[in-house]
Formats: sequence, C-alpha cells, structure tokens
Amino acid sequence: MENITNWFTYVNDNFEYILEETINHARIVLIVIALATVTSVLLGVLIQRRPVARAVVLALSGIVLTIPSLALFALFIPVVGIGNPPAMLALYLYALMPVLRNTVTGLDSVSPAVVESAKGMGMSSTQQLLRVRLPLAWPVIMAGVRISSLMTVGIAAIAILVGGDGLGSYIQGGLTRFGLPNSENSVWAGVVFTVLLGLVLDIAFAIFQRFSTPRGLRA
Amino acid sequence: MSDAAYGPAMNRVDTQPEAVPEPDATATSSAPPATRRARAIRTAGLWLAPVMIGLLALLFFFYYRGLQADGNSTVISALDWGDKLLPQTIRIVYIAFWSTVIVILVAVPLGIVLTRPAVRRISPFVLAVANSGQALPAYGLLVIFLGIMGQGRFTVIVALSLYALLPVLRNTMVGLDGVDRSVIEAGRGMGMTKMQALTRIELPLAVPIVIAGVRTALTLNIGMATLAFLIGGGGLGITIQTGLKLNQDPILIVGAWLVALVALSFDWLGAVAERVLKPRGL
Amino acid sequence: MTTEQQSPGQQAREPKIRLDKVGKTYPGTKVAAVEELSLDIHEGEILVLVGPSGCGKSTTLRLINRMIEPSGGRILLDGEDVTKVNPDKLRRRIGYVIQQIGLFPHQTIAQNIETVPRMLGWDKQKAKARSEELLGMVGLDPERYRDSYPKALSGGQAQRVGVARALGADPDIMLMDEPFGAIDPITRERLQNEFLRLQGELRKTIVFVTHDIDEAIKMGDKIAILGERSTIRQIDTPERILAYPVDDFVDDFIGTGSTIKGLNFLKVSSLALTDYPTLEPGGTAEAGRAALQDTGREWLVQLDENRTPVRWIHADGLDSADHERGEPVGDLLHSQDTLFHALELMVQSASGETCVVDDAGAFVGVVRMADLAKAIRRAQYEARMHYEQMERQS
Ligand SMILES: Nc1ncnc2c1ncn2[C@@H]1O[C@H](COP(=O)(O)OP(=O)(O)O)[C@@H](O)[C@H]1O
Ligand SMILES: [Mg+2]
Repeated sequence: MENITNWFTYVNDNFEYILEETINHARIVLIVIALATVTSVLLGVLIQRRPVARAVVLALSGIVLTIPSLALFALFIPVVGIGNPPAMLALYLYALMPVLRNTVTGLDSVSPAVVESAKGMGMSSTQQLLRVRLPLAWPVIMAGVRISSLMTVGIAAIAILVGGDGLGSYIQGGLTRFGLPNSENSVWAGVVFTVLLGLVLDIAFAIFQRFSTPRGLRA
Repeated sequence: MSDAAYGPAMNRVDTQPEAVPEPDATATSSAPPATRRARAIRTAGLWLAPVMIGLLALLFFFYYRGLQADGNSTVISALDWGDKLLPQTIRIVYIAFWSTVIVILVAVPLGIVLTRPAVRRISPFVLAVANSGQALPAYGLLVIFLGIMGQGRFTVIVALSLYALLPVLRNTMVGLDGVDRSVIEAGRGMGMTKMQALTRIELPLAVPIVIAGVRTALTLNIGMATLAFLIGGGGLGITIQTGLKLNQDPILIVGAWLVALVALSFDWLGAVAERVLKPRGL
Repeated sequence: MTTEQQSPGQQAREPKIRLDKVGKTYPGTKVAAVEELSLDIHEGEILVLVGPSGCGKSTTLRLINRMIEPSGGRILLDGEDVTKVNPDKLRRRIGYVIQQIGLFPHQTIAQNIETVPRMLGWDKQKAKARSEELLGMVGLDPERYRDSYPKALSGGQAQRVGVARALGADPDIMLMDEPFGAIDPITRERLQNEFLRLQGELRKTIVFVTHDIDEAIKMGDKIAILGERSTIRQIDTPERILAYPVDDFVDDFIGTGSTIKGLNFLKVSSLALTDYPTLEPGGTAEAGRAALQDTGREWLVQLDENRTPVRWIHADGLDSADHERGEPVGDLLHSQDTLFHALELMVQSASGETCVVDDAGAFVGVVRMADLAKAIRRAQYEARMHYEQMERQS
C-alpha cells in the first residue's frame, strides 16, 4: 500500500517529464503506424490477387516478426546511425505484417458477387477498389492496425537501448539506478504508462474504426 | 490463417476470414490452380527455409572469419567463439526453451478451465486483458522481476513465462471457443461425457490454433531472451550491448546476426512442428 | 440442329444484340466454354438461355457485357461492334442482375440504385428522383427502404433492389443470370409475375439465363436451349419448342408433360367449338331427350335466362323430379383462356367437358378432350411444317 502511494507521489512529481516521454513514445508509434498502414494497404492491394507474390510477401513479412527486436534495432545502426531512426525503421518492419495480412484477408472476404456486380455496373477497377473493395475490407484492415499499434507500443520501449526516445527511458533509468531510491517507481512508471498508452491508442483506433466503418457494415 | 504455414507466428487469431462464397455454384469443383500454386509455394517455403538459413549462416561464417583476419583485438576478444558466442547462444536457447515449456504447461490447462461453462462469463474479460497485454514492454517486465527475484536466468525464465503466457492462453481460449457447438452437441448426443467431448473433440479441433499460439510464444521468448543480459541473465544480448558500448559495428552485427539465425531456425522448427502436429483433415 | 430462323416480319429489323461466331475458351482449359455461337436478340424481347448446369450459359451472358473477353467473334449492339469499345462504358449501358445479387452492403438502398446514374454524371436530384421511382416500380415503399441498408432486406426484397439497381440508368438491355434462382418458390413466382408486368411497360431487350425449363417457358418470348459448349440445340418460341422438340436432347431437357405445358400457349379462341345440346330454362325432359337424340350425346347443358350454362344433365337424370337436376357446371371458359385452363376445368367437370361463354356470359359451346388433342396435334403439325420448310430453304 505504501509502495503504491509512493509511486503515485513519484508520478505526480515527475508528471511533466513522464508525459513528455509518453508523447515521444506515442509519436514514434503513430508515425510508424501511419507509414506501415499506407505501405501495407498498398502492398496488400497489389498482392491479394497474385498468389505467388502474396505467398512470398506474407512469408517474408512474417519472418521479420520472428527476428528479436534488439537484434533488428541493432542491425539498422550501421545503416542509419544511433537514436530513433534505427528503432523506427525496425518498428516499421514489424508493424507491416499485421496490417498487410489483414488487408489481404479483408479483401479476400469481400463477396465475389459484390465485386461482380460492381464490375457489371461499369465500375473501372480503380472504382471497384476504392468504392467497394477497400470500404468493405476496412474493418478488418483496421483490426490489423490495432494489433500493430499495440505491438509497436510494447516494443518501442527498447528504443532507448539504441539511443532512442520514449518511455523506455524510465525503465532504463530505474535499471541503472537499481537499488537507489525511486528506481522501482521509475520502472513501474515506464511500464504502466506504456501499457496505458497502448490502451489509449487502441481505444482511439477502435473509435476511429467505428466511425470510419460504413454504417451498413456496423454490427 | 492459411497464409501462415511458414512465417508469421504472431497474432494468428485476430481475424478469422469468412468463407467466401464462390461466384457460381457450378464452378466450385476444386481449388483454382492459383490457390494450389500458392499452397505449393508455402510448402516449398518450408523446405526452402533451411536452405536460406544455411546461406545466411554461411555468410555469417565468412563475415566472422573476415573479422578475425582483420586482427582488431577488441573485436576478436569480444567475439571469441568458445568463450563468448557459443555459451551466449546456448543460454538464449536454454531460456527460450524452458520458458516455452512452462508457458504450455500453465496456459493450456488455464485456457481449458477458462472456457468451461461455469467460468465462461469471465472469458471475454481475460481475452481483453490478454489482448492489451501485447502492449506490455518486455524490457519493463524483466526489470520488475529483477526487483522481485534478483539477478539471473531463472528470473528471466519466470518473467518470460508470464509474458508469453498471454498469447497461448488467448489462442487456447479462442481455439476452444471456436469449435463448432453442433459438433460438441453431436458428440454429447452419442453419449460422450463432458471430459470425453473435451479430449476427443474440442482439444483436437483447437490444436492448430493452440500450436500457432505456442509458436508465437516461442518467438516472443527468443526475442526476450536477447534482453536477458539486462538483468544478468546472459545471452547474445551481451555481445550486441558490447558493440553498442564500444561503438563497434562489427560486434553489433555479429551479435544481431547470430540472434536472427537462432530465431529463424526456431521459427522454422515451429513451422515444421505445426505441420506435423496438425490433425489430419483440418 | 442449330437454327437461326427469323419470321418474315423480323427479317427487316436489325437485331438489338447480335452475337457473331462468338467463342470463349478459358485460359488453362482445353475445351471451349462457348463455341462459335451466333445469336440474334431483337428489341423488346426476352430471350431465355436455358440448359444444363455448366453448359456455358453464364459465360455466354458475361460475354455480352464483356465481363469476360471473347476469344473470338464479334458482338454487335445496335449494329455497333462492341468488342473494341471501353468495357466499363459499355457496362453502364447494360443492366446486369445476378443470382447472388451483390448489393453493396456499405451503401444504402438508394445509393445502391443511384450508382450507375451517378457514374454517368446525373445530378443528385435527378438520381434521387430516379431511385424513388424505381423503388416504387419494383414494389418497395421508398419512404421505408430508401435509407436502410441491404442487410435489412429479405432475399426477395434484395433481388427487387437488384433489379431496380440494374434499371438505374434506364438501359435498353438487361442481362439476368438466374436472377430468381436463390429465392423460395412462392416469392420467385411473385417476382416472375411482377417482372413480366414491368417488362410489359418497359419493353427492354432482355437476355435471361436459367437452368429451369419452366421458368424459361414462363419468362421467354423466345427460348434458346443450349447444350455443351453453349451450342444452340433449339431456339424458338416456347410454344413451338414444346410442340416440336427437334431432338432427343431437347425432348429430355423439357421433360415429361411438355405437351400439357404446351396447352399454356393455345387459346380457347383457336378451337372450333362443337355444337352442343342445351336445355332452355324450364325445358321439359322431352325437350331434353329430343335435343340429345339429335346430337347423339349423353349430357346436355342447362341454361338460365341469360343463356348462361348452370348445370350438366345426364340423359339418365332427365326424368328426375328434383328441380335441381344434374351437376353444377363449375367455372366457365372464355375465349381468351388457355387450353391448359380448359384442361384443368375439364378434369373437374361432371361430364369431362367444359362450357365456353362469350363476354356477356352466354353459352357459346363446349370444349371436349378430343378438341384439346386435336389442337395439340395441329400445333405439333404446324411446328413440324415450320421446321421442314426451314430445312428446305437452307
Ligand atoms: N473463370 C473460369 N475459368 C475456367 N473455367 C470456367 C470459368 N468459368 C466457368 N468455367 C467453365 O466453363 C463452363 C461453363 O460455365 P458457365 O458458363 O458458368 O456454365 P452455366 O452458367 O451454364 O452453369 C464450365 O465447364 C465451367 O467449369
Ligand atoms: Mg451459371
């Protein structure tokens, strides 16, 4: 109990700084998610009806996910130097897969009859895509975005190890001052605010998902 | 889920593609050639993967040899095979293996219990927690356990088990929930007890999704085992860290490369296991 | 036997749609799905393509609006070869209805119907007015359905919207691929009737695909019976096909009862009605007997003051003291009724025959089983002569 009040006091005292790192963390995540979503949707549209490209691209983006984050972050340091860039590059690669896979399954799930009738009414393939296929796949794509966002928030905490920003700094701060006063509070602040950020972003995306989903598709 | 015979191990249960109606009932005779080709590619991928990993290992070997020939003593001593790299690799595998075993032993029974009618009401809640648990920073979790259990590999194993518990738990629950109720009804109608329905119908049908969850856990565990060095758990993270500290890219690259090789190999093993363990007919 | 005949009146008219040796072989297959098909479809007529599943009906239909590209041949709409024009523009001129309907689930009913008009650049007001009009036309209350989404519709309602959507920009041509195939029989019947009524007003040129011969007979001005690779086994009016199936394939396909189905296309007015003994109101048994004797029949028709038939009286029942002698005549036939209707009444009638009346309800004559048989034989004879004449010409 005392620990908890202690922690709240700590958070209260350092709120400005914690908020700043939370915002840094959120910025990293949001930039990464935005870029990854655009890339994945474009790529997903391109590969969905090409079985070979589709199998290869999905497998490759899946393999990226299996590479441990620290290793992937580190591998980009020789390329882009130290700081946020290697972290964001790695996070971007991680974030591709869920959106990509959901774009493809979302497009798959569009009823062929609907596409057939769109084509039969004289829609060009671009119109079919923009007016029918993507709107119908949208809820599934957004589900992928939410998965990517949660995942990225968690992994971004180790950006600090390669010199980046974010709430990882509170975890690292606690670790380097391990045993000293407030070190545990610092770690907990890092963890709790990371998870909270993940939840807040998830809820925000959920709300966005709801309002960007055409009314006829809502449950 | 069908696109993942080899490759993506993360988050396999979040979207369940609906059955897509064929444009014409008469044209449903067999899978179109394109789909069959894609399936062939994925099977080929399963056999191609070790070749690719072998090639990456070969490249690694030449790079490593080159570094030794260069004769930078800092690099050479940091990358000593027998003293550093091999034990560190073994440590990572050790940690990942045991935490995965613990995860399976805990999460699968827990998932079964949580999907029984008596406690089913709380399962959406558990799933929500498991879902947001994805945002849990592994790094932070390790440090918290350091505070609780002190330094060492066992701390790492416990922390990892908790971390990787969630995907297996979630997949077990989703897999069991996803079993067609009418199939269970049919089994019960034939006089199976609840226990028999569970072991003979529900669990076998849920196996593919559970295995997918285990693969995710394995991936997460290897990823996190790389961070074990942070709390004195050893592993290849040490080499990466050394490279960062000394600002020596070669050390960094060797460490990260080796980690990637280990991760890719284990993911491939997971893919093979998934293929072998999947019940026929699914 | 493939037939490409036209009645003299049609010869002059240019067909609305002409397929000229159109073929389609799907990539990766060896056998053609459609082989050198030539076919004319005239303005305002419903041509039904009917044939066993997999014979290439849908492929043929989809060639017309170039949902798939032909491997060879020409397709002419109003004399213009459309195999080279922009397919999207082409499709906006052609209504297309499919069995699975394919309404856009993310758009309201009105938006669905306004899709093509809007693509063609109609302004909002005009498109909206059109969608209201169309909803009314297909029997859905615009107030109620305009702003709802497809998921709120039953199968029958959804297909009404599907038809309305295809009619969106008032295309001359409609292609319909088993449009009522997935709908329960009662609703299907209703939709068929409503569609025929609508077509009576709109006079579109329609190609209608079905695998159901009864639907073909009901909907078609003309029927093309297709065999494998979409080859035409017989193309003609439903009545002529029923009267004279050219070969065993067609005969098997139209199935048993085709003769009786053919009665649907023959009218009572086409029969020469036989003279029949009647009994005026209040006529005595003697008068009746005299009438029977003259004609040598067993039954006579009791008329009322308006000369409307009321009862059948058998020779043996003439003496009955009962004022209500004999059996009621039941429903009466009019000259525009079909012989199928006549048959229905006949099998319910006490005498096995049925009375025909004029518009005023006055007795005109009687239809007997022998008359039906004669009518059928004549129809079959005429159809055969028609085909023999064609054979001689070619
Ligand atoms: N997209 C396609 N690719 C290859 N073969 C097809 C395709 N569509 C249809 N076919 C084949 O062409 C033939 C005719 O099909 P279809 O026109 O759909 O027949 P119907 O509509 O009369 O049932 C069938 O043998 C069918 O299997
Ligand atoms: Mg068809």
